[in-house]
Amino acid sequence: MAHSGPMTDWRKAKLPVIAFLAPATIIYTLFMIYPLLDSIRLSFYATPSGGEAAFVGLDNYRTILADPDWASVFWNSFWNNMKFFAVHMLVQNPIGIALAGILSLPQLRFRNTYRTMMIMPTMLSVVIVGFIWQLILSPVWGVGADLLDIVGLKSLFGPWLGKEGSALITLSFISVWQWVGIPLMLIYAALLAIPDDLVDAAVVDGATHFEVFIHIKLPLVLPTVAMVSILTFVGNFNAFDLIYAVKGALAGPNFSTDIMGTLFYRTFFGYQLQLGNPHLGATVASLMFLIILGGVLFYLFAIQRRLARYQM
Amino acid sequence: MSFSNIRREDASRAVIVHAILLTYTLVALYPIFLIVINAFKTRKGIFRDPMGLPNAETFSIEGFTKVLAKSNFELFFYNSFTVTIVTIVIVLLLASMAAWALSEYKFPGNTALALYLAIGIMVPIRLGSVSILNLIVDLGLVNTLTALVLVYVAQGLPLAIFILTEFMHQIPKDLKEAARCDGVGEFKIFFAIILPLIRPAVATVAVFTMIPIWNDLWFPLILAPGDGKQTITLGVQQFIGQYVTDWNAVLASLSLAIIPILILYLIFSRQLIRGLTSGAVK
Amino acid sequence: MADLKLDQIRKRYGAVDVLHGIDLDVKDGEFVVFVGPSGCGKSTLLRIIAGLEEITGGELMIDGDVVNTKSPRDRGIAMVFQSYALYPHMTVYKNMAFGLKLDKQDKSAIDARVREAARILQLDQLLDRRPSELSGGQRQRVAIGRAIVRQPKVFLFDEPLSNLDAALRVQTRLEIAKLHQDLKSTIVYVTHDQVEAMTLADKIVVMNGGNVEQVGSPMELYHHPETRFVAGFIGSPAMNFTNVRIDAVAPGKVTVSAPGGIKSVLPFEVPQSEVGKTVELGIRPEHLAPGDEETLSVNGEVDVVEKLGDSTYLYIKLANGDRVTVRAPGHSRIKIGDMVTASAPAGAAHLFDGDGKAFVKVDCPAEFSAEE
Repeated sequence: MAHSGPMTDWRKAKLPVIAFLAPATIIYTLFMIYPLLDSIRLSFYATPSGGEAAFVGLDNYRTILADPDWASVFWNSFWNNMKFFAVHMLVQNPIGIALAGILSLPQLRFRNTYRTMMIMPTMLSVVIVGFIWQLILSPVWGVGADLLDIVGLKSLFGPWLGKEGSALITLSFISVWQWVGIPLMLIYAALLAIPDDLVDAAVVDGATHFEVFIHIKLPLVLPTVAMVSILTFVGNFNAFDLIYAVKGALAGPNFSTDIMGTLFYRTFFGYQLQLGNPHLGATVASLMFLIILGGVLFYLFAIQRRLARYQM
Repeated sequence: MSFSNIRREDASRAVIVHAILLTYTLVALYPIFLIVINAFKTRKGIFRDPMGLPNAETFSIEGFTKVLAKSNFELFFYNSFTVTIVTIVIVLLLASMAAWALSEYKFPGNTALALYLAIGIMVPIRLGSVSILNLIVDLGLVNTLTALVLVYVAQGLPLAIFILTEFMHQIPKDLKEAARCDGVGEFKIFFAIILPLIRPAVATVAVFTMIPIWNDLWFPLILAPGDGKQTITLGVQQFIGQYVTDWNAVLASLSLAIIPILILYLIFSRQLIRGLTSGAVK
Repeated sequence: MADLKLDQIRKRYGAVDVLHGIDLDVKDGEFVVFVGPSGCGKSTLLRIIAGLEEITGGELMIDGDVVNTKSPRDRGIAMVFQSYALYPHMTVYKNMAFGLKLDKQDKSAIDARVREAARILQLDQLLDRRPSELSGGQRQRVAIGRAIVRQPKVFLFDEPLSNLDAALRVQTRLEIAKLHQDLKSTIVYVTHDQVEAMTLADKIVVMNGGNVEQVGSPMELYHHPETRFVAGFIGSPAMNFTNVRIDAVAPGKVTVSAPGGIKSVLPFEVPQSEVGKTVELGIRPEHLAPGDEETLSVNGEVDVVEKLGDSTYLYIKLANGDRVTVRAPGHSRIKIGDMVTASAPAGAAHLFDGDGKAFVKVDCPAEFSAEE
């Protein structure tokens, strides 16, 4: 079937082309690009009480990054976010890859049923997930302790969500529980794209299924793994819903679960005793944008270029 | 099938494989199961026997009656539903128009525009929330579903355009050339010929657009937190926040939020998964 | 190198039987070709020999060992796939070394074997390239190289030439034939192309619908097809068939006729019970010539003329509606619309009963016989 190519004499179709492109471009620009740029602009301004917004250059940035009141909170949330991300990279993605590898084994019975079941948590709202686990892990209910008792680990149980040292890690694991479905599906799809012939050739060459996975399948899905990683990065640094649902905007105990998203919300909207400050909020948002942009650029230039997608 | 022909290593490997898969499936599903069965229990039943199924003694729907009495779940569903459907329809229309223009007409700036529109895939729209709220306030759209729709459309367009552009590249040239030879106008070509052809991609786009919207807490919280415009996610969060010690109510409200999704998911799971995987691997 | 024995091999997928009891003996060093139309089961059979499919029934023996439950690596086989199945992320060298590496062979041994195979296949300059940088023919050679380094007991080829263009196909065919001569290996080769089968095989296995129709050397199959299917499958253009009635039977002779045309006496041993029945007469286009010098003649109007330079194919429509292909000399002047008589010696004919089984030909002339 002949593939379509762009029509060369678009000039005859000027009106339709503009009509086709305009609505999407306008809404996109108005509600996504403009606000982003305007936010960045706002971060360079401040509104003293009762006064007009005035240009203050990098003052807001200095405040957030270096001012004693703000800096500790900011850097705390940044490092918490990194820990959050680390747990996802170290737990979510390997589990997703391993499960995808197992699901792609030839002649596996009930494959689709397993897949449908394992992805179910991903379909739920983050808020719902947060509450489910909050209940299960609640010392008041005790179900969590009972479950651990089954595997003989009851002594490990504690009010993890309530303790400063364990709350963030616990929330990270809850998030992993929910989101494993994404790497699972994406890498599974990539594994399916590998022609059966290649697997057959490797088996004939003498590879066990594990060896096929390590030497053939994994290298060929590395581009997808990289993509999953950058999506995880962006998603984690954008995360908010889970922490907010379980811990509220204050992200306690003692800010131990505070990540950039909750900091942003708190700064911009205000919470309880703290007044919202849109300029500082915009500053936090701009910093988040820079971090995410840095990650994405790193991915695009350092990683994606090197990982060729192989013609199979 | 003669068993003597199955290799011994294969059999033991199958056992291990299924053990791993079953374990993980249990880990994935049991928490949800726990919540749902306990929603149908009395308070005593919840605490005395959390892991057991509701029986004659412990069965109760008091949680549900309280939830439906004290909060407006039907309204929340309606809001979520409306916002989601309207957004999907608008996104599909606008994105296919844009994808068509980008893939078919080689005008100067085509690549630049495509790149511009694609940036939104990686950049989280939330970061512009300060200005988005200002904009919504200026437009007088606070606490309206319209505000949510506008924002979600902007959020959904980049990926939808990307998916549909790939799709449009595969439409055979002959169809378009035949139509042009017949003197059919460009608009007509799009609406009468192209639009019906994108049906296979509709599922993919719908899935990618729908899930982030339905489960979103952020924008309902910021743009439409009150006046009966709450979405189901926000509604549940507010309700639980209010009735946090009332276990029956809390469990029931969670179940009310979960069960419809699960049913929909089980019915449409194949299309859903196909949609999620076909677009993303590109 | 080893011999291969298939004993009543059966294969079932769910409720469907795809192989109905295949028996075959392949001697050490033989080049055996499985040939047949799509869906006949030849690829399935090859995959069963390789160990990529499980055997539902029967026994498979390589070098005297029953290998039904052995994994491919333990069977001593190597396979060349239709799509070549080269590992896209590995260089040519690594592709060929992969199996040996898995076997935990030592580095210098691997290197020696890979370079030797590369030399034989003229891949020395390409060892550092990736498959995507190679042409179709080069990729094919790498696939063969990957099989050679394993020094297998049996080589398996799954339609290796299908993805090549016509010129390359002929060239590669020659290379494979030469490879067989040099390595003296046992080869099992699957193809749907009967020209490949005829040119490469020591022994051809014609398959149809999960059954073996006939096993024999190329010449045996060409001159002495045992079934109507084999007769129509081997030879290009295909054998002509037309229905005839058995009028009379005598020892070593049978009289046949067809309405509006043929009436002839042919040298076949036919039982009395067949008198009056309708059977099929087969005659190859290359055995028919314009003119009526020979005993078996047909007559009709020329529909289509194909001029190939070295020969001309005339497609003739007989009075009873049958179409017959005749190979005429390249310089033939016969045109469309001409009424033409073509004839063939009686000894070139084939006769098939109602079940498609060939009647036994008597006193077969040397030029139509496979005997040396």
